[in-house]
Amino acid sequence: MLRCRVAEDAPVADGVDHALDPRVIPRQRIVGGIVIAVIAAGSLLGLGIGMLAEDDAPGWLLALQPVVWLALVLLGAWHAYTWPARHYRHTSYRVDDQGIEIRTGVFWRVVINVPRSRVQHIDVSQGPLDRRYGLGALVIYTAGTDHAKVDLEGLEHGRALRIRDYLLPLGAGDAV
Amino acid sequence: MPSEQRLHPATLLFDMARHAKRFALPSLLVIVGASQSSSGPGGMFGRMPAGWEAWLLVLFVPAMLTTIARYLSFRLRYDDHELVIRSGLIFRNERHVPFSRIQNVDAVQNVVHRLFGVVEIRVETGGGKEEEARLSVLPRSAFDEMRRHVFGERAPAAMPDTEAEAEAEPTGETLVHLPLRELLLCGFLENKGMVLVGAAYGALWETGILGGAWDRFSGGTELIGRGFFRDLIRAVVDDGPLPVGRIGIALAGVAAFLVLVRVVSMVWALVRLYDFRLTRVREDLRTEYGLFTRVTATVPIRRVQTITVRSGPLHRWLNRATVRVETAGGAGAKSAAHVREWLAPLIRRAGLPRLLQQVLPGFDLAAVAWQPVHPRAFARAVKPPLVITAIVTLGAALTIGWAAIAVFLLMLLWMVLGTRQYVAHLGWAEGDEVVAMRSGWIWQQMTLARVNKIQAVAMHQSPFDRRAAMARVRVDTAGAGEFSHRVDIPYLDHEVARRLAERLSVHAANTAFRW
Repeated sequence: MLRCRVAEDAPVADGVDHALDPRVIPRQRIVGGIVIAVIAAGSLLGLGIGMLAEDDAPGWLLALQPVVWLALVLLGAWHAYTWPARHYRHTSYRVDDQGIEIRTGVFWRVVINVPRSRVQHIDVSQGPLDRRYGLGALVIYTAGTDHAKVDLEGLEHGRALRIRDYLLPLGAGDAV
Repeated sequence: MPSEQRLHPATLLFDMARHAKRFALPSLLVIVGASQSSSGPGGMFGRMPAGWEAWLLVLFVPAMLTTIARYLSFRLRYDDHELVIRSGLIFRNERHVPFSRIQNVDAVQNVVHRLFGVVEIRVETGGGKEEEARLSVLPRSAFDEMRRHVFGERAPAAMPDTEAEAEAEPTGETLVHLPLRELLLCGFLENKGMVLVGAAYGALWETGILGGAWDRFSGGTELIGRGFFRDLIRAVVDDGPLPVGRIGIALAGVAAFLVLVRVVSMVWALVRLYDFRLTRVREDLRTEYGLFTRVTATVPIRRVQTITVRSGPLHRWLNRATVRVETAGGAGAKSAAHVREWLAPLIRRAGLPRLLQQVLPGFDLAAVAWQPVHPRAFARAVKPPLVITAIVTLGAALTIGWAAIAVFLLMLLWMVLGTRQYVAHLGWAEGDEVVAMRSGWIWQQMTLARVNKIQAVAMHQSPFDRRAAMARVRVDTAGAGEFSHRVDIPYLDHEVARRLAERLSVHAANTAFRW
């Protein structure tokens, strides 16, 4: 697969496969870390209450529970750390004069083609983490059913804006 | 660039009122529930300090904060060709809605709105399940401004031609008409009887009529019921005398029931589809049917997204098929409302090409070059059924022992045969204006999607697909129902799938989508 980084002012509709902004990897790691931390804290609380309530359980069972908990949390943390990079490697997009093509999925792969003439409207959104890394999410809406909403997260914010401006029709004449 | 607009300050009030409404009932229930429970004030919550109810207001704080954040962050702007809406303090979103894509601008003004001189504006485009923008609330003048911006650059004739139709009502050409005989046949083939019998059974059981009848029937005559089944099992297991006469009566009963079901279905067709007539009036197809409730439906041909032709074994034996279309609403109608409408509940195969040509001018059903799926599709498709067979056999072996071998052989035969037929009947075709997909062995379905109605093309590859170098191509159209047959072609060669997806998306990109 061909990938390259383009200068800021290059046209977006170059018909070349582009990777996402690499800063999406640390961003996704932080998101994953937060999720794992919340789950870990919640399950630890549940575990503690359970252990206090069951005082007649055998000792080895009581000892095993925290070990299993720790193993699962470590597994989750490992996944949260490694997954964003794998996902990044398997996500790309291409804009040309026909429309946009998005490839995504590590195991279950999908290539979605949205013709430019079918775009209804577009959102560009930014959460706090996105702002910290200068990223933005492009959300394309079509009149379809399965793909009524097509997301592309982890673009450089300015680039997301340029893609949006390129994909949206310029005047009324375009629609009919 | 024109300046940005904010929401009317009364927004704060309306939003809070909405939250309050949502909170009112649960809060009331909590208060009533707590005060009525056994041990006086507080009740099951233990000893509550007086006036604890006031603390419920704390739950209001997040709602209040989001309301204020929304009010402060919301900005509306009209660019040259689009409406721009910015919102969100923490998670910021900027939505661009091109004027040319806006189907509808509605204003809602209730009594309180009127008091403040404000309106709630709803902007709808074709996409999504709900309106694209709900602007609550803006000053009254903003609505006129919005309409001016959105519809100003369009000719007024862009609105649907409903009024023009109303004045002159030409009688169109009749394409399909079901006489009584076809109607009864349709009911017979559709077999809606089971549903009606099921409903009737439920109703009778609930009212106790059926229970009494059953008791009298089985207890009184001893003909069928427990005694019969016991005899039957004894005959099979212990070499007892086979109750041949009773078996005959039971079989006759089953046959009578099946006939009854079909008769009920025929009555259903007679009532529901009486005098079914499909006519073409200029660019619209009209259907009219019903004995008591006369239904008249209009299907503008340009709104047809997909056509599905379906036929069961009896349909094929009698050279018949059923045709349905799926349409999606446009301007004026409810946005993207999904409508599934009969074109013909029953039609002779010979008349099919002519009917399809009405909807797809120039489409020749006989000339469609059907292509099979990948040659190794069977090897892939048969694996999941084999796994199921293995699991069922294992379960059977644990419960009935060696007889599980019979279960295994029967299931294996059925699964292999079924899969082979399923794969053999999968097919796809690509024409100038349509992409077609057919599937099904016993009940066969064929769906035609118009290329200029394609919204997006997706190619899916599961890990299994990748191992076999295959892929699945799915064509997304507007208004497809949850369970409707769609163009979704599995087991394609990866290269074939890639090229098909590319051709379809290029083709779709070069045609303008119109509702």
